[in-house]
Amino acid sequence: MKRNIRFILLLIKLKLSHMMVFRLSFFIGFFADGMLFAVQLLTFQIIFGQVDSIGNWGQGEMLIFIGTFSMINGLNMFIYFFGVSNIPRLIRTGGLDLYITKPVNPLLRLTFENVNLGSAPLLIFSGVIVAYGVSVLGAEVTAPLLTGYITLTLLMTLLYYDMEVILRTLPFFFIGTSAIDRLEGELIMLNFKVPGVIYQGVFKIIFYFILPYGIMATVPTQALSRTLTAGGLLQALAVVVFFTVFALWFWKFGLKHYKSASS
Amino acid sequence: MNVITTQGLSKIYKRFEKEAGLKGSVKSLFNRKFTEKHAVSAFDLNIEKGEFVGLIGPNGAGKTTLVKMLTGIIAPTSGEISVLGYYPNKLENAFKKQYAVVMGQKSQLFFELTPTDTFRLFKELYAIPDDLYKRNVGYFVELFGVSQFLNVQVRTLSLGERMKMELIVALLHSPGVLFLDEPTIGLDAASQRQMRLFLKEVNREKGTTILLTSHYMEDVRSLCPRSIVIGGGAKIYDGSTDNLFDSYQTRKKITLAFDTETDFTVPYNCELIDKSPYKVVFMAPKDGDARLISTLAQEYTPIDISAEEEDIGAVVERIYAGGMNR
Repeated sequence: MKRNIRFILLLIKLKLSHMMVFRLSFFIGFFADGMLFAVQLLTFQIIFGQVDSIGNWGQGEMLIFIGTFSMINGLNMFIYFFGVSNIPRLIRTGGLDLYITKPVNPLLRLTFENVNLGSAPLLIFSGVIVAYGVSVLGAEVTAPLLTGYITLTLLMTLLYYDMEVILRTLPFFFIGTSAIDRLEGELIMLNFKVPGVIYQGVFKIIFYFILPYGIMATVPTQALSRTLTAGGLLQALAVVVFFTVFALWFWKFGLKHYKSASS
Repeated sequence: MNVITTQGLSKIYKRFEKEAGLKGSVKSLFNRKFTEKHAVSAFDLNIEKGEFVGLIGPNGAGKTTLVKMLTGIIAPTSGEISVLGYYPNKLENAFKKQYAVVMGQKSQLFFELTPTDTFRLFKELYAIPDDLYKRNVGYFVELFGVSQFLNVQVRTLSLGERMKMELIVALLHSPGVLFLDEPTIGLDAASQRQMRLFLKEVNREKGTTILLTSHYMEDVRSLCPRSIVIGGGAKIYDGSTDNLFDSYQTRKKITLAFDTETDFTVPYNCELIDKSPYKVVFMAPKDGDARLISTLAQEYTPIDISAEEEDIGAVVERIYAGGMNR
């Protein structure tokens, strides 16, 4: 464990060194992610500015929801997105050979070798929006509640990671997965705009248990607004545990079926 | 003691086939046809500790597939395999710490950073103790004479300098077995020579077992006392490299130059390569070449006459064509 942490820290240092080689790109990264957040806020204004509530959620919950989704997405971009999104290319080109032959879990290395400091402002802005949402809601935030919210947000970031790993493990078995990438993008955008509380029936089953993007920002928001039930919490934890175990198993299963590429 | 053992090792790939054109593509949507490609077939191999073995074969012969199975990158379809006592595709870290692989066409270096940055990553990857790390970096950097390149961007290094760094990176953790897949590809003659000297030194001084795959027959001839020739996934020769070339390098290239126009008649049993009024090049059997040269010198009085060893690539082609088993 200690060795893995040292290894992760070294990967992050090397990535930062790499980013700083390209000074302009380094600073443009901050700018680009800041702009992305601004666009998201604008979208929120356009879509939700015209209504007072969605489902039984008011403006405060909606602000927390948008801020939370943005934070999960920011953590994803900050820590692992650029590493994990490399997996299909490495599988297709045989570049994974050099990861497999090293005495460290290839997924651990891939996860942390492309951290993106440019996403840091997105996390800060997201935090500000969540805080504003709490003030609009007029809710009292105690230390245990805040700790619970942060823990659930991190768990949902793990769930987001699990989904990314599962989808990017598919190229071990199929060559063309661009349609799946597009589907993932659409599902994320949909669930960024629509809180999970409005899903009913089959949609709830799909977005809570099969493609669980619907619970990612919803559950932490419910926790912070004190509307999360014990059953809802247990259900969310079970989904995270299941998808984490499945993602790790599926990755190992994919590695066993790795065919490399002709040199 | 054997460090690498395989018995009846095979790898079969399934390949999708379809008829040409749109009609074939539509048909393939509903009726998919697969054929089997036997990349490696019933391969038996034993390599002892400290050996330097060359693996020779044309493109698609199965060399790289074999190396990928030995390093655990891909799983065999059938057969037994043991490297350093491990089943490679179990991908155990304890196994991965004991070997290294260098692929001439895949770099392990960070191109935008310095070689030292990559060395540091590998120190962590392999948990190399400080003293061993310092000792190995010092030893290899001096051996290769690359101290002036340690803190410059990898991107700015020449291919030869970069390959030296690739080898240093691979050897930092003192691996027991080193797999080299085309390590001299693209290098100029001088860099290839340097690389060979270095590899010879590593094999001798560190006792590292080395399995070398190369298209450059000179690599194999000058480095590997033992050669394995692979063709169509099967082993067609396994034995002494000298014996391989003695047995199959059966011809010499003879060149004669004249100062006047000469009508040259190609001797019996020789193959004409090039002919002009002032020069002729042909292949002649190696046995009796001295007598033939002497006869030609008397008959045509050329101003220059030379005899060269046959291109080694052609020798290997002959082995494939013969499908020799030893």
